[in-house]
Amino acid sequence: MRVIAALWFRNVKLFARNRVQLILMFIMPFFYLYLLSSIFKSAYISNPVNYVLAGIVIIVVFQTSLNIATSTIDDIVSGYMKEILVSPVKRVHIAIGQMLSSTTIATFQGILILVVGYFIGMRYASPFTPIAIFGCMIIIGLVFSSFGLYIATCVKNSQTFQVVSIAVTTPITFLCGVYVPLSLLPNGLQHLALLNPMTYATAFFRTLSLEKMSLTADELLAEQLAFKVNHLVITPQMSIIIVLLFGVLFLILSTLAFSKVDFSLMNRTNAHKDIFQQ
Amino acid sequence: MEKMIVVKDFMKKYGNYTAVDGISFDVEQGSIFAFLGPNGAGKSTTINTLCTILEKTSGTLLIDGKDVTSSRDEVRNVIGVVFQESTLDNKMTVEENLKMHGHFYGIPRSKIEERIDFVLKIVDLLEWKKSMVSSLSGGMKRRVEIARSLLHFPKVLFLDEPTTGLDPNTRANIWDYIVKLQKEKNITIFLTTHYMEEAEISHKVAIMDNGKIIAFDSPNVLKSQYTKDKAYMTSQDAAILEKLLQKYNMSFSKESNNYTIEINQLADFMEIINEHRPLIKTLEIKKGTLNDVFLQITGKDIRG
Repeated sequence: MRVIAALWFRNVKLFARNRVQLILMFIMPFFYLYLLSSIFKSAYISNPVNYVLAGIVIIVVFQTSLNIATSTIDDIVSGYMKEILVSPVKRVHIAIGQMLSSTTIATFQGILILVVGYFIGMRYASPFTPIAIFGCMIIIGLVFSSFGLYIATCVKNSQTFQVVSIAVTTPITFLCGVYVPLSLLPNGLQHLALLNPMTYATAFFRTLSLEKMSLTADELLAEQLAFKVNHLVITPQMSIIIVLLFGVLFLILSTLAFSKVDFSLMNRTNAHKDIFQQ
Repeated sequence: MEKMIVVKDFMKKYGNYTAVDGISFDVEQGSIFAFLGPNGAGKSTTINTLCTILEKTSGTLLIDGKDVTSSRDEVRNVIGVVFQESTLDNKMTVEENLKMHGHFYGIPRSKIEERIDFVLKIVDLLEWKKSMVSSLSGGMKRRVEIARSLLHFPKVLFLDEPTTGLDPNTRANIWDYIVKLQKEKNITIFLTTHYMEEAEISHKVAIMDNGKIIAFDSPNVLKSQYTKDKAYMTSQDAAILEKLLQKYNMSFSKESNNYTIEINQLADFMEIINEHRPLIKTLEIKKGTLNDVFLQITGKDIRG
């Protein structure tokens, strides 16, 4: 527990010290809000502001948790991860500590957007909805942190990482129904979107924050909150289970990556410093 | 004396390439042990395996009687490591770096402050406690790393080329700290370096080349075994000197007027000096160095 808390605190502190990152974090939500509410007005969805806002919150939680979790790559490249790995710290604690810190930052940013939403007229009927939303942001933050952490441990090199990161996040962000409604996508991409865990995270989160958990399957399908795969209707409840399974899988994978003692690859990354760093 | 590190038939392969080829040695508790050899000899591979961050291919490696593969966490608790490249967190202060280390090694919270001051005092960095690591010089960063590696009071301290890239003055300072540590705290110190002269402080030296240990003994024994003292002499009358050297069967080489003489027998050499005294212009006698030992054994210079 102590190591998890220490790693968590360190990463949050590092984040708070980075001024540029902090300012961007406050500005970005407004940008999204402006951009997306104009796009979705044309998509025949009732209550576009709430619909869009729910999407933005979840995409921001996704991006932030992934970004911060992948900052682990900095620790690997700077050599600091070696200090952690020679210590008798449990490997799963390293993974959890890193995940908790990125989830904290991501959830914090999600709350910021909801506060902005409140001022532009977003209201919930039930007082339990905000609590459920808060819990849901934490879960989705954890899931994608574990995913980001695994990517970081796989790549171990900051140049390759840039490319991999863009290659992974772009399809996930654009094929989940937040930026572009799924119904507007061509058929092939719609099928692809169903393989995207973020699609399910978005659907569940939207249903939750639009307070539509009690709708019938047909109504959900019409609102694009549930999906039909052949004859199976994937309800929001099933969606969140899919997301959770995805998270558990990557938590296991990243713990395994830290447990692998053979970090010879890590040494090699350090050996390839360019001439100015030597 | 108790054995702190025992290595038996240790072998490490990367694919088809054999980095370490079945080496065996042991290190006594409380001694300084130096691992010498050119870059790529397998020193870092051995250190990394002993530090539990690299998997061995075969062999047995024990630290304080515990196996580095099967009792990994116990081994991690008794060792302190300073790696070749920096492993400090640059975006944190010295104190924060040390505190994190304390958490990792489960040092009681009530004792952390006291210990941080204690180890920073050893390396004379107490007044830099609140500074960002990124603002420190290269030598100071190394000292922070040494301090950090001591925080959990390890029984064995691994230093992988702790002085590479530092200026001579800082290098000398760092070795002073290391010797002090060994004397005062009775820590076993395992170091690698490719500055041969720096290994003189150690009790035992292993010279490694191409994944094998090719010599293992104390620096003095190695030097007397593999090197001869040399005299560098210039004379007013080279012809007479040469005749004299031939008379006493001394092997020598010359470069214009400078003679390099290998001293086989000290008594004979004294005779030469005596007979030649009025004509000697300059005379310098040099002891053999560990670098000479390395040259003698491998036929190549360590920096080559």
